[in-house]
Amino acid sequence: MDAQESLNETGVLDTNDIFQAAESLLLPTAGLFTYVEANRLDVQIHKEKLLAAVKAIIEAKWGHLSAITGLDYPPHQEDGKSIEGMIEALYHFCNKAVIVTLRIRIPYNDPTIPSICSIVPVATLYERELMEMFGVEISGTPDPSRLLLPDDWPDGVYPLRKSFTGLPANKPMEQT
Amino acid sequence: MTLPQKDKFIVPIGPQHPALKEPGHFEFSVDGETVTSASARLGYVHRGIEKGVEGRNWTQSMYTLERICGICSHSHATAFVLGVEQLARLEVPPRAQVIRSLVGELERIHSHLLWLGVAAHEGGFDTLFMYSWRDRETVMDLLEGLCGNRVNYSANIIGGVKIDVDSEQEKAIMKGIAFLEERTKYYMKVITTDETFLGRTRNVGIMTYEQAYSLGSVGPTARASGVAQDVRIDSPYAGYKYFPVNMILGSGGDLQARFVVRINDLFESYRLIREMVSNLPSGDIAVRAPRRIPAGETISRYEAPRGELFYFIKSNGGETPERVKVRTPSICNWSSVLVVAPGHKLADIPMLLSGIDPCFSCNDRMITIQKEGKTQTVSWNSIREYGIAYYRK
Repeated sequence: MDAQESLNETGVLDTNDIFQAAESLLLPTAGLFTYVEANRLDVQIHKEKLLAAVKAIIEAKWGHLSAITGLDYPPHQEDGKSIEGMIEALYHFCNKAVIVTLRIRIPYNDPTIPSICSIVPVATLYERELMEMFGVEISGTPDPSRLLLPDDWPDGVYPLRKSFTGLPANKPMEQT
Repeated sequence: MTLPQKDKFIVPIGPQHPALKEPGHFEFSVDGETVTSASARLGYVHRGIEKGVEGRNWTQSMYTLERICGICSHSHATAFVLGVEQLARLEVPPRAQVIRSLVGELERIHSHLLWLGVAAHEGGFDTLFMYSWRDRETVMDLLEGLCGNRVNYSANIIGGVKIDVDSEQEKAIMKGIAFLEERTKYYMKVITTDETFLGRTRNVGIMTYEQAYSLGSVGPTARASGVAQDVRIDSPYAGYKYFPVNMILGSGGDLQARFVVRINDLFESYRLIREMVSNLPSGDIAVRAPRRIPAGETISRYEAPRGELFYFIKSNGGETPERVKVRTPSICNWSSVLVVAPGHKLADIPMLLSGIDPCFSCNDRMITIQKEGKTQTVSWNSIREYGIAYYRK
């Protein structure tokens, strides 16, 4: 709790109050709350509840959407059982030193998440990045076109998935 | 934000364009001289660095990430190492933390002076451009004296810094800062009193507090609209725990306010640098870092010259990062230009674009080296061997 203590010392912020405000906003929609670091709260959330949760945060002006991170969990074998591939989308909201992350897990075979652009317009860029890099389908996003990848990039190839090691025409990515 | 229009005439700008120094493609629909709608296509300098670091060890990743952007390279490296140190639970010595912030503030000065020149140039004020770039050499020399490099300073290592500040350098920094402060006073006078310049900036590109807040603007662009947001104050990191920063806010939200906020940012940086140099904590500058970083996830935020820089770092306990996500400040500020542009004259657009101090490389996070007109792709191993051989000599 070093970070929190030093913040209180400077008298600038009261991290606990900000955390409590976030918890009360997210309580109706969220699943599991986990305090992962002194200034971070992770909230597992079902994708149907995403819009309601984001709306609660934004309408209360609790904080701003700082980024959307994608994480890839490729299919693998565990105890002889095959585990399906998953994508996790992390919506990071910041208020002063506090970061609340809404975490949504979706399977490879149904990688759909509703768009939050109607609430947070700036999310369009982050959603487009998530779509082209991870192959997540964002339903209702205003502009589904490519943001960063070249125009001649093949369809269905998602570079930030762990299975991607390079385009067939090029040599695989160098591992050092 | 589209105004009513009859026949649409689209002016495409870029990706290669004589007036823009970096590649980006914009389409502005115009009715006569007035812009009616705006759209952007980015990604021309995308290099796949986020994927690239997944195949490199933690130290190599730091150097790779530092190369995301040439202007705010120290911001990227520092944001990354602060996160990695958090994961590894390393206690970094205060002296190292303050030196990080010291280099960070020198970088902010160089970035803002660079921006002032570019913005003045876009406004047709080339004398100011040449003055500010000449003066920027002062801070570039300080950075070179301190780190050995003008760009990509490589001041950080995981666990601290690899440069120390001696009394000679302290003197040089104080002298350089005194000179720049005088010059900055002059620039403040120019941008607030010169009628020609005011004509290009006053009441141009107004972004209200509500717009700046809801569009998620960051850094000086947001602060010019009165949004009090500065990571150095909100969530102090590195040396800012010991040397608090004063919030620089503007009012009006027009281009003029963005100029004034950045110039005031410079004065605040000069004050911080003086305090840091005169009260530099003594002690070590680094602790030993493990090769493997313990498993976990962390988030590191850094106030880069353009605003909040966001790093999400995940380790699976190995020698390479599992995932590094970078969200750069420029990407947040794009939407502000695209929303504010309609209704302005096409001639105001270059000023509007430079008003957010866009950094295309930051956006695109883009590996190809251009040398003497030839494109040459150099493998990591050959660069590494070259580097080792170079320093053995």
